[in-house]
Amino acid sequence: MSETETKTFVVTRFDPDRHAEPTTQSYEVPVRSDWKVLDALNYIKDEIDPTLSHRWSCRMAVCGSCGMNVNGQPKLTCKDSLAQYGDSVRVEPLANFPVIRDLVVELEGFLEKFKQVKPWIIRAKEKAVTEGTYSQSPEELEAFRQFSMCINCMLCYAACPVVANEPDFLGPAAIAIGHRYNIDSRDEGAHERNQVFRGEGTVFSCSYANECSEVCPKHVDPAAAINQAKFMAVLDWAQSLVLPRGGEEK
Amino acid sequence: MSLAHPDAMRSTRPEPTRTAPPFRPDYTTPRMRRYLLFDATGFLYLLVGFVVLRAIWALSSGSEAWAALLRDFQNPLYVIFHALCFVSVIFVGVRFFRLFPKAQPPRVGPLKPPPGPVIFALLYTVWIGVTIVFAAILAGVWP
Amino acid sequence: MAVKHLLLRLEPIIWLLFGQGILIGTILLTGWLLIVGLAVPLGWVNVEVLAYERAQTLGGNWIGRLLLFLLAALPLWKGAHHVRSLSLDYGGLKRDAVLAPLLYLVAAAGSVLALCAVLRLPEAA
Repeated sequence: MSETETKTFVVTRFDPDRHAEPTTQSYEVPVRSDWKVLDALNYIKDEIDPTLSHRWSCRMAVCGSCGMNVNGQPKLTCKDSLAQYGDSVRVEPLANFPVIRDLVVELEGFLEKFKQVKPWIIRAKEKAVTEGTYSQSPEELEAFRQFSMCINCMLCYAACPVVANEPDFLGPAAIAIGHRYNIDSRDEGAHERNQVFRGEGTVFSCSYANECSEVCPKHVDPAAAINQAKFMAVLDWAQSLVLPRGGEEK
Repeated sequence: MSLAHPDAMRSTRPEPTRTAPPFRPDYTTPRMRRYLLFDATGFLYLLVGFVVLRAIWALSSGSEAWAALLRDFQNPLYVIFHALCFVSVIFVGVRFFRLFPKAQPPRVGPLKPPPGPVIFALLYTVWIGVTIVFAAILAGVWP
Repeated sequence: MAVKHLLLRLEPIIWLLFGQGILIGTILLTGWLLIVGLAVPLGWVNVEVLAYERAQTLGGNWIGRLLLFLLAALPLWKGAHHVRSLSLDYGGLKRDAVLAPLLYLVAAAGSVLALCAVLRLPEAA
């Protein structure tokens, strides 16, 4: 049976109908030693203050819904153990995102960046079903598999200083997924994506903070993807200087 | 709490409700401070580039200009500057070389880069080797 | 906007120069700073090793000129790019339209001056 102790949760509150700007509210919560941050938030909502708004779903770190800033660091609150924290825990909405209410942030900006990189297999000509499947060796799969493990939790966006200061930057998850498709052996759209990578949302804005990889709960290592993408974007650019593709290059 | 750019992660569609501006990530953590320091070494690299430029210019201007440069380099301010540059070069090298192996794409045409640990070992071998050789030549120890 | 689009087009080149500024610049600068910046001025190594005639011999051949050029030029690009990055870290998006071209022009000007300087070096005896 886990022991209980009382911790103070300082939670960001924002209601656009009532608050000019976000404030904080403190809650005393009797927590069990095996609780995660999400358990405490659900306790607050269920037992203390039903007006608190926060997102969560799977409770097992696969859906990516419950991302928040805990003591200044982006975390999946369903995975983040309370035992590591002292008597006071600060819970805020994910950094770098507009705040809709309390701990809920606006995700549409991320989805727009995501769509920009065309996260699907691009083929010059699709195989007909009768021609059979696309073959891929275990080695070819291994080349991109790590980057496909992203659960779109956006902790990487919350950690990134470039996302904070350059609104056009595509961001870690979008670049990682675009790169995932660029190095997928079935894909033929690398040149199209590299033009996006060198466009307004340029991958070259990444300044090697590596914060995205530090906070990623799925060990996707988006920093690796971004820096590999830079290299490949330069190769694509150099190739297009030597072999211009008719009318495509600006 | 510091704020990020007001348009950070903002969608192009109109917002159905008023949103609060985005918070900025915490810049005070040890990791972020190391990152900001990494960026700040840019000032030292800019200055040291111009100091080396001054050295080349002095060398090409004759023995008196060169002697004056060597005298200036003995000034405590120059020594402190060079010491700071040396520390930042080591800091930059260690940080960058840690990132370098994972920045190599899985394949460039038919070519595959060596495994990460091999690249890492090669980088340090070259760094230490070139430093020893370069320093030995400058110091008159070799050849 | 025009400045931003120009910077976007030049970005692959700037990134390559910045990357080499870190890689090659760091590798070469370590030995230079150790001896020329510290060991000789502090008397750990006899100042005669950098006597004019010897320095001229070392710097006056094509390898010496190349190394000196890289030692001067590459750190400028790393420096310019990182100063720009630091400015952006502290909310400098608006001033980037002025600061970025200025920094890269400084790096470019320094690189040109470095080239002129190494070409000015007398041939090694």
